[in-house]
Amino acid sequence: MTAARDVDVLVIGGGMAGAVAALAARSRGAAVVLVRRAPGATALSSGAISVAPDLGALPGEPLASRRSPVEAAQRLAAAWRDHPYAVAGVERLAEALAFAAAELGQVLAPPLDRRRFLATLYGSAVGAGLCQHATVDGDLLAVRGTLAVAGFRGHAAFDAPLVAAGLARYRPRGGPEVRAIELDLPALAPGAARPHELALALDRPGAAEALGDALRAALPAGAGAALFPPVLGLDPAARVLARIRERAGVPVAETLSDVPSVPGLRLHRAIEARLAEVGVEVVQADVAAAPAPGEPVRLGDRELRAAAWILATGRFVGGGIARRGVLAEPALRLPVQAAEGRDAGVQLALRPAASLTVRDRRRPQPLLSAGLRVDGALRPQDERGRPVHPRLFAAGAVLGGHEQATDGTGLGVAILTGFLAGRAAAGGG
Amino acid sequence: MASPGALVYLAWRALVAHPLKRLFRQRGSGLDRFRAAYVSEGLVPTRLDDRAVAQAASACIACGLCETGCELARATPAVRALGLHAAFRLYARSFADLPLAADALEACAGCTGCDALCPTRVPISSVVAHLRAASRRGAG
Repeated sequence: MTAARDVDVLVIGGGMAGAVAALAARSRGAAVVLVRRAPGATALSSGAISVAPDLGALPGEPLASRRSPVEAAQRLAAAWRDHPYAVAGVERLAEALAFAAAELGQVLAPPLDRRRFLATLYGSAVGAGLCQHATVDGDLLAVRGTLAVAGFRGHAAFDAPLVAAGLARYRPRGGPEVRAIELDLPALAPGAARPHELALALDRPGAAEALGDALRAALPAGAGAALFPPVLGLDPAARVLARIRERAGVPVAETLSDVPSVPGLRLHRAIEARLAEVGVEVVQADVAAAPAPGEPVRLGDRELRAAAWILATGRFVGGGIARRGVLAEPALRLPVQAAEGRDAGVQLALRPAASLTVRDRRRPQPLLSAGLRVDGALRPQDERGRPVHPRLFAAGAVLGGHEQATDGTGLGVAILTGFLAGRAAAGGG
Repeated sequence: MASPGALVYLAWRALVAHPLKRLFRQRGSGLDRFRAAYVSEGLVPTRLDDRAVAQAASACIACGLCETGCELARATPAVRALGLHAAFRLYARSFADLPLAADALEACAGCTGCDALCPTRVPISSVVAHLRAASRRGAG
């Protein structure tokens, strides 16, 4: 066996938090290895990154929200002491978002000062602090002219009239005029094709052009943009949006997605491509019961030693937090905290996982906010509140204190904490 | 206290009638008799390895990521509509429903492209191989 190789930073986890952490450390010149075992929850993303919901906006009136994502995050951090935005501080949130958008610029569009309002599959609008290029021209406040919602005949997963009727509700708040149209899928794929099959079919030469021609023929008078189901290509290099636009003569966009999610897969692929491009070595392996930073760790068939580690293993989907009777952190066996009301503690996490849910689903659910407790430098703490190791950092959904799956801050937290942890692990700010 | 008549009847059954029946009416082993009674209903016995597979499959969150790595060269309409995780869901609900997923299971070419895609670490290809064997056993 060869001796353990030395690198500067080891990132455990390949979702958004791990990727941004690896890229942030790499951009400071550190030698970075990222280990992951499979795509995580990031590959299930809808295509929108909400960053922080505007708690002051009425649920039925998303377009009435005028508070920027960064301002909303500041308010959220002030109201919620355990939230990672409060623990890590949101001073560098705008910088982190711009960094992620630039690094993953193949799919992510640069952020604006305001939210973009993007259509869902069901005709509602969602405010997004960061989004993919494929959705930018569907921003309800940016469409000039009529928005044509284009469905495919026989495609059961998308109902253009339903989406159009839903989006027409936002007209009084500055949304566009909306019309539904239906197109045939010329020689693409059977109508019942799954989303990723449609997306792959559109990547091929000729397919997006044919769709652009069909769209041009069906566009209503005064159309300013066309909105498609979320299947507009898996490979950003195939330029599906631009090819449709060249033939149709109007900007095109897609709605946000449900799972299985083409935008999520696209984001996952872009992350992998960017990591390879900048020279972050990606290893596919499982990490369990690892030692501490500075000590050799076994990754599959090789051994590695890194001065700093970043734990970005996600929560329940990614496997960063496991429910094995009690809540546990399997990679390094760190203590897990859960919060009930205002009391957060390790003791709570030692209760059976099933006892950490409450019947009233609008109340905070301790199980859903379970994760690691970290200090201001994102270092996981032990039971007594001291850092476990000076060079061990954590980022993303593995951090506790927020209901990452439902509170609308999931990928925003991943980007901010990934950025901060990556910079800290590489040394210097 | 039971009546003396009932006790005498039970003693006669236990000491005379039942041993005589065991001696002269051989119907195979207990497993054979269990199968004769239940397999016709689609209920085959749950073995230890079945249990392990069921536990591994129960981590499925039906996210569909596995299907993006699935070639399914001989895909049937059933697979196209629901995907292979339909087999997982049918199996989780009731073993007797497994034959409904038989076409989908038979369509799997066993390429193992799905295994590395599962976020919750379900060993998909081995679960599918096991369910296919179970569905063949049940059908036979």
